[in-house]
Amino acid sequence: MKFCLIWGAVLAAAYILQTAFLPLLNFHGIGVDLLLLLVVSFSLLEGQRLGGLLGFMAGLLQDLASGTFLGTNTLSKMLIGYVFGLASQRVFKEKFFLPILSSLVATVLNYFVLALLVVLLGYRFNLLQHLQMVLLPMLFYNMIAAFPVHLFVCRICEKMKEK
Amino acid sequence: MSRVRRNTDSGKKIWIIIFVIFSVFCIIFFAARGRYSVPLGERVAMTFLAPLQNVVAKVGNEIHYATSGLWEVITVYRQNQMLKSEVEQLRAMNLQSNELASENERLRTLLGYKQAAVQFDLVTAEVVSRDSATWTDVIIINRGINDGVKKDMVVVTAQGLVGNVAEAYDSYSKVQLILDPRSAVGTIVQRAESRVAGIVEGNPGDKALARMVNIPKDADIAEGDQIVTSGFGGIYPKGIAVGTVQRIENDEGGLLKYALLKPAVDFQRIEEVAVVVNSREALPTAITAPAVKPAAAGAAR
Repeated sequence: MKFCLIWGAVLAAAYILQTAFLPLLNFHGIGVDLLLLLVVSFSLLEGQRLGGLLGFMAGLLQDLASGTFLGTNTLSKMLIGYVFGLASQRVFKEKFFLPILSSLVATVLNYFVLALLVVLLGYRFNLLQHLQMVLLPMLFYNMIAAFPVHLFVCRICEKMKEK
Repeated sequence: MSRVRRNTDSGKKIWIIIFVIFSVFCIIFFAARGRYSVPLGERVAMTFLAPLQNVVAKVGNEIHYATSGLWEVITVYRQNQMLKSEVEQLRAMNLQSNELASENERLRTLLGYKQAAVQFDLVTAEVVSRDSATWTDVIIINRGINDGVKKDMVVVTAQGLVGNVAEAYDSYSKVQLILDPRSAVGTIVQRAESRVAGIVEGNPGDKALARMVNIPKDADIAEGDQIVTSGFGGIYPKGIAVGTVQRIENDEGGLLKYALLKPAVDFQRIEEVAVVVNSREALPTAITAPAVKPAAAGAAR
């Protein structure tokens, strides 16, 4: 319960920041995906069970609040939370490059899961052009924000364990 | 014994994961076809998040205005020079347009032409948030049912069509932009010789360009053509600017082609919009008899 309340508030705050403030820095409508970065960092620290749960919560919040295809972000972020959680025991959590490298892999994975769902829903697009226009700027933004977000997540996890 | 239990546990876990993924998968496809929705969940999310997004967006906009104001002060001399030369050009254009306006007036009187101008009742709104979700384009505005906004109402700016209200809540609404792949707008080419009809929909491959589809291969449409709403379909009133044709490409089937449009509205800088809460055709002005000049009247007598 405490987990849901605290992380629900963190996710809501991140979503508000991502949609109301950070669009000022967007490049052709593409910006940083704070929710994805939070899910990745949290999963690396806390494992697949809680990672999958936080991914589910983050994706559901995004789907309900943004008006996009219902369930797409829920599925992609839940999968990412679970997959990165599986790696949590095999990585050195205190390394600087970990959040950056993970953010890049997660962004690509999230992109392709969503692209697959969009194609299955019957929409067609030019993948190469889309990769260039959407994925590249998104990788850039997420890479820059990955480390500060990871530090923030580490701090919250430590605080929660202290209590 | 413990190995058996561990295997049972991991087997159970895998089944739970498969069940959850399958359920979410079903929700995605039923929701996309309109057979499943969670209005309560969306309403709760909007009720809690939208007011906070509104506050944060206002703070962000203030910071943006302050920084852009500072930049304008720095570049004011160069701007002044540019504006001076622009004023000269506009003066020359003004002379020309006055001439054209009077010619237009004369021709209208000659043809007895009455413009069926559509009049709108507008409610202005500020854009509160925009999710940079990769595949869809929805914005949240700070006007809702309490301000007379309803589902399916048309949203515009002075430049042209923005989209339609996808969902209206008490004080906020979700607006689906014309760039969203789920959107479909009935349109025609504005050029008098062409008037080719088509449907403008979002282009998932390129967020900057919309697509006008269902155009026959031999249709008269060219780069630079202005595209406006056709009024077909009932949602969008006729004559709202949608965009300009940037290039034309052949459809995969071979019988049709599609045009890529640069939208009339700059969606990257959209801060304020207007919701058309009521639209009606203007009443034609009454036909009055031309005034008879006294000299001509005398001659007739």
